[in-house]
Amino acid sequence: MIASIARKEFSEIVRDGRFKWTAGIMALLLLTALAAGYQKYNAHMAMQSLAQDQTNYQWLNQGDKNPHSGAHYGNYAFKPAGPLAFFDNGISNYAGTALFMEAHKQNFAIGRPATDQSSIGRFGDLSGAMILQLLMPLLIIFLGFTAFSGERESGTLRQVLSMGVSNRQLLWGKALGIGTAVLLVVGACVLIGGLALSLTGLHAEGESLGLRVTLMTASYLLYAAIFLFLTLAVSAWAKNARTALMVMVGFWAFVGFLAPKAAGEISRIVHPTPAFGQWMADMRGHQMRGIDGVPPFVRFEQESRAIFAEYGAETIAELPVYVGALRLQKFEEYDFPVFDEHYGRLRDSYINQRRLQDRLGVVAPTLPLRSLSMALAGTDLIRHIDFADAAETYRRDMVTRINAYLGEAAASLNTAGGVLVSDQEVFGIVPPFEFRSQGLGATLDEHGGNLIALVLWLLASLGLALWAVRRLRVEED
Amino acid sequence: MLQATKLTKSYGEIEALKGLDMTVEGGDIYCLLGANGAGKTTTISLFLNFIRPDGGTATVCGLDVTEQPLETKKLLAYIPEQVMLYGNLTALENLRYFSQLGGHDYSQEEYRDFLRRVGLEEEAVDRRVKTYSKGMRQKVGVAIALAKQARALLLDEPTAGLDPKASNEFSELLLKLKSDGAAILMATHDLFRAKETGTRIGIMKEGRLVDELSTGEVSHADVEKIYLQHMHAGGHYAQEGAGSA
Repeated sequence: MIASIARKEFSEIVRDGRFKWTAGIMALLLLTALAAGYQKYNAHMAMQSLAQDQTNYQWLNQGDKNPHSGAHYGNYAFKPAGPLAFFDNGISNYAGTALFMEAHKQNFAIGRPATDQSSIGRFGDLSGAMILQLLMPLLIIFLGFTAFSGERESGTLRQVLSMGVSNRQLLWGKALGIGTAVLLVVGACVLIGGLALSLTGLHAEGESLGLRVTLMTASYLLYAAIFLFLTLAVSAWAKNARTALMVMVGFWAFVGFLAPKAAGEISRIVHPTPAFGQWMADMRGHQMRGIDGVPPFVRFEQESRAIFAEYGAETIAELPVYVGALRLQKFEEYDFPVFDEHYGRLRDSYINQRRLQDRLGVVAPTLPLRSLSMALAGTDLIRHIDFADAAETYRRDMVTRINAYLGEAAASLNTAGGVLVSDQEVFGIVPPFEFRSQGLGATLDEHGGNLIALVLWLLASLGLALWAVRRLRVEED
Repeated sequence: MLQATKLTKSYGEIEALKGLDMTVEGGDIYCLLGANGAGKTTTISLFLNFIRPDGGTATVCGLDVTEQPLETKKLLAYIPEQVMLYGNLTALENLRYFSQLGGHDYSQEEYRDFLRRVGLEEEAVDRRVKTYSKGMRQKVGVAIALAKQARALLLDEPTAGLDPKASNEFSELLLKLKSDGAAILMATHDLFRAKETGTRIGIMKEGRLVDELSTGEVSHADVEKIYLQHMHAGGHYAQEGAGSA
């Protein structure tokens, strides 16, 4: 029974001119977006790998110089695109992809031309994810708004309900029929995209690509089902097709445009991002004052006896290592907790903003889906923090290695004075930067709530649809 | 087989049906006559449980239509004044869909046979019905009713707008169904055909059944005369006992 209803619904839809146009446009946009996304992804990955090699080469070939100058010369960390960045570019356009790592300073990632090399990149944010988040619901609404309301208007509902079929079976059948038509369009495009990708491949070793794709698919299926049952509910509830269409398009505009904007604003009001200048001044001031109120120079003086004692020395002359290198290293270490505190404060504001936006998903399913989608694509905030952390860890290791070398090699300068100039071979003691993500586990911990939000939305829309078809009648009493 | 007991229905202030009592047995073709708004369509809608009665009961084969709406609908076939079909489907696909909704399924050949029996041209069967005339759509509606193999039929002015030949073919089909033992309730304005095809005639006025006739006992002229008497009579209380020919 449900199968016959689904079959009729499907045949009616695909024979309708509406379907050919909307499906055609949808398929065209989706394939274009996937192709553009892939081109951008590939260009990014090629550029990233090239730039990383280049910067590593420059580091190793910076010439003979004082090792500490070498640490100032610095090195770049380039962020690889997320494993599914071709599908959902997430915050990549805003988060920056290159991070300068140098002595004394923790920096922000900055944007690099590497992100917008391709001419097709002018499409900007027309990503597969955007098409599925915004246009797929519209396709579902267009194909489904007449499911009941149209039959009521044309009069076929009278005859259908005279046949002795239960309203619930009608609902399931129609959902199956319309769902199949939508899947036919979207699924075909996604499959074509997937096949094309499997031929060219992604750079995603150790990224649990299979699990990511599975969860991504499940999330978007949930999202599609939410719109499908909401559309059917409204179609059964509305007096006529026009009302059903207006209600659903209104809902679509709300969840697709208004809610994300509003959620962004609300989250920034509740968890304000510190003003950049103020934040920077606070951090610099804190560095000067020292983490616990003792300025670094004073602190080093106070601690010097203990530090020297570690080397069994009482005076600088007795030190087996260069005191300048010791001071450099200590000053670095005094700054670590200051950086951690201030960068942490900044990150917390971003993370709290995102979590609040996720929670606002109770008013719009687009919010949890968007968040989940970029997390699974590996283009979200967590991933970016992950990268920035990796760069900072690398930076701290780099200066520690250089300072340690300087300490050993320049011990004679304690009494002789002067400056050490080392052969550039020394920079080989710092291994090249390589980013390994924390993997999917952290993502899932952070985004389990979003998955649950989507499931709850589906249950609610299902409940609404069941309620609407139960009170579905041919005539007003 | 179809029975209404003290059936009442109001739409706000308007009383559409005021305590209707009527019975249609198997083998009966009961023709409901009356002006527009007399309650004929309301009666049919009540039997289909499209609307809920304010009082009284409607039963099909002894089952209350409000208590067992799906079961009673399976026993019924309904042909509205305007049979509405899915324009983008062919006649055969429409027939198959409605039959499956009613819980029946037939072979391709059997569906074609139903459409042939109601007189639909062979070439039209696989054409999308949006190109159909009203008469052709009514025929598909009849085929849907036939295929449902219902015990009782509810027909709401099914021949309105049909040409005489199609009307006549339709009457032939009704007679065949009647001889198979179906109970048929038909709302109509066609006095001539009511007398010709019907076994009994009920005249409704302002929500009441004001008269019942057996077609075997009256002439065409009588039917018309009695009908017009009722229509011309003043307030509805004036007609009690009138026209008991």
